[in-house]
Amino acid sequence: MNLGTLAVKNVLRNKTRTIMTVVAVAVALVAFILLQTVLTAWTAAADAAAKDRIASRHKVSWVMSLPLKYVSDIEQVPGVQKAAPFVWFGGKDPNHEDEFFATIAVDPPKFLEVYDEIQVEPAEREEWLQNRRGALVGDVIAKKLGWKVGDKVTIVGQIYGGDWEFHVSGIYTAKRRSVDRSTLWFHWDYLNESLSGRRKDQVGWIVARIDDPGRSAEISKAIDAKFEERDIQTLTMSERALQTSFLGMVSAVLKALNVVSFVILLIMVLILGNTVAMGVRERTNEYGVLRAIGFMPKHIVAFVLGEAVTIGALGAIVGIALSYPMVERGLGRFIEENMGSYFPYFRIAPSTLVTAAVLAMALGLVAAAIPAFRASKLDVVDSLRRVG
Amino acid sequence: MSDDAKDEAPSDEESGSGNGSAGPPIIELKGIGKTYYRGKERLDVLKDLDLTIAEGSFEALMGPSGSGKSTLLNLIAGLDTASTGTIRVAGADLNAMSDGERAKWRASTIGFVFQTYNLMPVLTALENVELPLLLTNLGSAERKTRAKTALKVVGLEDRMDHHPRQLSGGQEQRVTIARAIVTDPKIIVADEPTGDLDRENADEILNLLDKLNQEFNKTIVMVTHDPAAADRATQLRQLDKGALK
Ligand SMILES: Nc1ncnc2c1ncn2[C@@H]1O[C@H](COP(=O)(O)OP(=O)(O)OP(=O)(O)O)[C@@H](O)[C@H]1O
Ligand SMILES: [Mg+2]
Repeated sequence: MNLGTLAVKNVLRNKTRTIMTVVAVAVALVAFILLQTVLTAWTAAADAAAKDRIASRHKVSWVMSLPLKYVSDIEQVPGVQKAAPFVWFGGKDPNHEDEFFATIAVDPPKFLEVYDEIQVEPAEREEWLQNRRGALVGDVIAKKLGWKVGDKVTIVGQIYGGDWEFHVSGIYTAKRRSVDRSTLWFHWDYLNESLSGRRKDQVGWIVARIDDPGRSAEISKAIDAKFEERDIQTLTMSERALQTSFLGMVSAVLKALNVVSFVILLIMVLILGNTVAMGVRERTNEYGVLRAIGFMPKHIVAFVLGEAVTIGALGAIVGIALSYPMVERGLGRFIEENMGSYFPYFRIAPSTLVTAAVLAMALGLVAAAIPAFRASKLDVVDSLRRVG
Repeated sequence: MSDDAKDEAPSDEESGSGNGSAGPPIIELKGIGKTYYRGKERLDVLKDLDLTIAEGSFEALMGPSGSGKSTLLNLIAGLDTASTGTIRVAGADLNAMSDGERAKWRASTIGFVFQTYNLMPVLTALENVELPLLLTNLGSAERKTRAKTALKVVGLEDRMDHHPRQLSGGQEQRVTIARAIVTDPKIIVADEPTGDLDRENADEILNLLDKLNQEFNKTIVMVTHDPAAADRATQLRQLDKGALK
């Protein structure tokens, strides 16, 4: 036996109360872990952004387009290796009206050069480059819609109208998480040849690969400066900044989630504190006996804190044991498959688990601080008089 | 700590002291007063009390309820401090010591037996007895051996794995006595140790205290309401309204 034995045994003394408290702590931690995972999953998209890519758009708004000529103009800017144009097509599969996926027109050779993390079989790649009606489809969405290489698919254009026929040339995966695996990419030429007047030869945005990630701010500025005197000016930013500005739209939600996380932790502290305080009150006489036989106030503090930390640790073990399989075995994959464009990767970060475990024990200490202090200040003779 | 206590024990020259003959004073109280205040009301529980107890004696302290017996015992045991006067116990000037020093001193010098309900319910009999040794720097094996020896003295070695609630009131009190002697203290204080027990169990406890006094030369100060218990003591004192008669 040692001094810790007494603290641990006291925890197991009132089993019902301990179990209820451990469950409460565990539930609070599960909620905390899930909320934190949502937060990290949101920001993971931005963290995964390629550092050597910058994106230019119309200075006023995303929905306004840039002249095609800007692509080659941007390639003239020192530091830029290659630039690729993009047009948001906004299509839907009429057979799967509820399924959201991005449909984007690109210049295939330039696109594959700038997005070199795209992985596709050489034969399929070749077929896509040759076939003006070819589409390169992400493996995640292809699986969901049941599309296979060689299929003919019809997409209804939300922005450009009408039925558009595509031939599934290839299915891609990605080497890194910096590219969405639920997108349908197709030839910009195919789109452009159907357009006329002011809608012709326009692109939505342009992504450039640069030589040196360290100079991305500088090169962005140089690009914007180049178009300063033209009718249409650009706004250029790093891919990360782009993702973050998108996240900015949901930042209020993120803040709310953070607040909820902390409210949950606060409730956890109150529950733990209450349990510890009840235990201390019941054991006044025992603390008196301990003090009489020579234990010091510091020992009493250690007993009380030891109990709280033990309960916190038990809660952490149960909470982690619940949330880990919940996310890894079910929720995570479900979210990745169904909300992949928001949460390309919904898994619990190891750091979240560590944070949760450390917090449970640290907050156990916080919760027990006042009862521990009170117990240590008890008058020995007084507490001996209190029986039971 | 307990080794020091053994070295200092005057076992050779005072071999007869256990049989009721008085040794040198081990407890000396001079001009002790203890005053409590309840709001503005002043309550003099002990008034100008002098008391000398010889090493190796077995003292019984009697008196009406509220006369201050427990208060006096707590002063002797270093649990409380006097309002006035000086207390010397086993060579220490208790009023001059800090709370921490008194706690250390208690751990090595005093064994406590309270009325009842003073074992840790979550610990086994053996662990309860071992508890005071956690404050020493003895190794775990040595602590266990000593706790077992103490349980053997009170005749409960076969119950060492039982928890207090699995023991009778008398057995619980014997475990308490084992805990009180495990550090080999010079003095044992007992506040109504038989108060909650029937005659048979009470006699067993008194036999044990007798044995500790006779065989182990412990100085025992016992508060009791029970005349039969008082008969076992070598010295009987009456406390009334805060003064010894
Ligand atoms: N902390 C305190 N504050 C105020 N009065 C106290 C305090 N502690 C004890 N007293 C009072 O001191 C008096 C003596 O108490 P004490 O416990 O010493 O009596 P006792 O002789 O042991 O009585 P009993 O036989 O009932 O145990 C009582 O009147 C009690 O109410
Ligand atoms: Mg009393």
